[in-house]
Amino acid sequence: MKLRDRISSWLESKFIQAAASAALLAFMALLPLFTDNYYQNIVWNAFFYMLLALGLNIIVGYCGLCDLGYASKFAIGAYTTGILIKTYHWNFWATLPVSIIISIVSSVIIGLPTLKLRSDYLAIVTLGFAEIVRITARNLKITGAATGLIAIPRPTFFGIRLVKITHWYYVFLILVVIYIIISFRIRNSRFGRALAYIREDEDAAEAMGVNTSLYKLYAYVLGAVLGGVTGSFYAVKMTSISPGSFDFNQSVNVLLAVILGGMGKVPGVVLGAAFFALFPEFFRDIPVIGDMRMLFFGLLLIAVIIAKPQGLWPERNK
Amino acid sequence: MALMHVENLKMHFSGIAAVDNLSFDVQEGSITSLIGPNGAGKTSVFNCMTGFYKATSGEIAFMGTSLINIKPYKITEMGIIRTFQNVRLFKNLTVLENVMSGAHSNTKQSVFGALLRPAAQRREEKEILERAEHYIDYIGISDKKGYLAKNLSYGDQRRTEWARALAANPKLLLLDEPAAGLNHDEKEKLLELISQFRDELGITVFIIEHDIDLVMKISEKVIVVNFGKKIAEGVPEAVRKDPLVIEAYLGRDS
Repeated sequence: MKLRDRISSWLESKFIQAAASAALLAFMALLPLFTDNYYQNIVWNAFFYMLLALGLNIIVGYCGLCDLGYASKFAIGAYTTGILIKTYHWNFWATLPVSIIISIVSSVIIGLPTLKLRSDYLAIVTLGFAEIVRITARNLKITGAATGLIAIPRPTFFGIRLVKITHWYYVFLILVVIYIIISFRIRNSRFGRALAYIREDEDAAEAMGVNTSLYKLYAYVLGAVLGGVTGSFYAVKMTSISPGSFDFNQSVNVLLAVILGGMGKVPGVVLGAAFFALFPEFFRDIPVIGDMRMLFFGLLLIAVIIAKPQGLWPERNK
Repeated sequence: MALMHVENLKMHFSGIAAVDNLSFDVQEGSITSLIGPNGAGKTSVFNCMTGFYKATSGEIAFMGTSLINIKPYKITEMGIIRTFQNVRLFKNLTVLENVMSGAHSNTKQSVFGALLRPAAQRREEKEILERAEHYIDYIGISDKKGYLAKNLSYGDQRRTEWARALAANPKLLLLDEPAAGLNHDEKEKLLELISQFRDELGITVFIIEHDIDLVMKISEKVIVVNFGKKIAEGVPEAVRKDPLVIEAYLGRDS
């Protein structure tokens, strides 16, 4: 048996998977006990990218739609929560359902006419929409124009005010776990398989009775909702948001994290996001190389895409 | 009443008539074949029947319901399942997942079912899995269940496509050149299978082929088209002797 086959059959064993996941989760849960705020914030940033990547993965990885404007989805959530708290003095937790509804409405408006288009046109439309959201946010009074929203109050959770970085570390860790469960549940369902059929061959999917326009819309909306919720939490964690946080670079970063890890493969996507968030940090302190870390990162991305276009996570067996 | 009724079907592509005033019936419980030389318009007929092409004019009705302007997935839900001339499997999914897609058209659970996993969803998942495994067994590819479709031999890809179609519990099965690319033994096996689909599963079968000998063996009725027009229709023996058919296939004596 080749090494590659052995690795992938080992990865596929249910027991190993469960044990490794439990060990990893325990490690992540205990990590704050041994690390200071600086490292916790770096790992928090990785969690944040994982959430974004898992959300985008529903659209890009599961359904094969090309979305170049994912930043707009999380901007919509972040601004919804930010405005409701700052201007209307809402409780953070009450803003979440509103954030979800606005994510749904905006993605239906943008998705309904465009999802009939072929994938490359969709890329252009989503890119354009993201720019519209960003420029609108920069010019409206209610969004705080170019300065954005500042001093958004921190929420409380069962009497604890979430102010410490450790608090946010755990909040986002829990969110990552929830997003992973959602991703797996979708993947192993009639709905998730239908998305995979569309990704693999849209005509054949339609021939097997999949209402492809509707299912593409579902995937797009679901991805937007996950992005919106991530944005809401981001707004209260950061306490300030500005249009600069939601530019095209951000959309590309999340897309690259998904592609790097392996589209549609949940552990791969999580790994890709972690790698994407942590890689620049590891190189920061090394002289010379540290300054050129993004160059190395770019080269590495090119190498991965040439050598392993399916992403870093190993292909399934056979 | 015929299960499928096609009347005066026309399909034009910018002036060129791929299908020209074609009428025929498919009787329930029959094996009917549409044959003709390459480029005769057979696949266009098929695409009109399954909603992939919009017919220029004419009527197509299934159990009395018109299929004109009905979307392909709706037609599938009505119980008409097709296969493709050049096998179209979901390449990066396993044989099992491919065959499970067959059950999509007559199962229901959607987004909330997937997220909340109520009892109805779990029951349906079990049913989909059992049905897929049943037809994988039926077609005889159980040993390939976990393989990715792209790693299968051509013959096994064909078989997976048939299992996928059967898992939809079709009333009418449309096979587009099912024998293309198969060797002699596989063709013999295929003939047996198609008869089984009808005799054991009660599925009406409509076949498109250009291999005239293959369909002659199993069809009750053969419709011959050339240049989009019907040139002969009837029992295989009569059609085989028809001078127009011989001419279409072998050319005219000059």
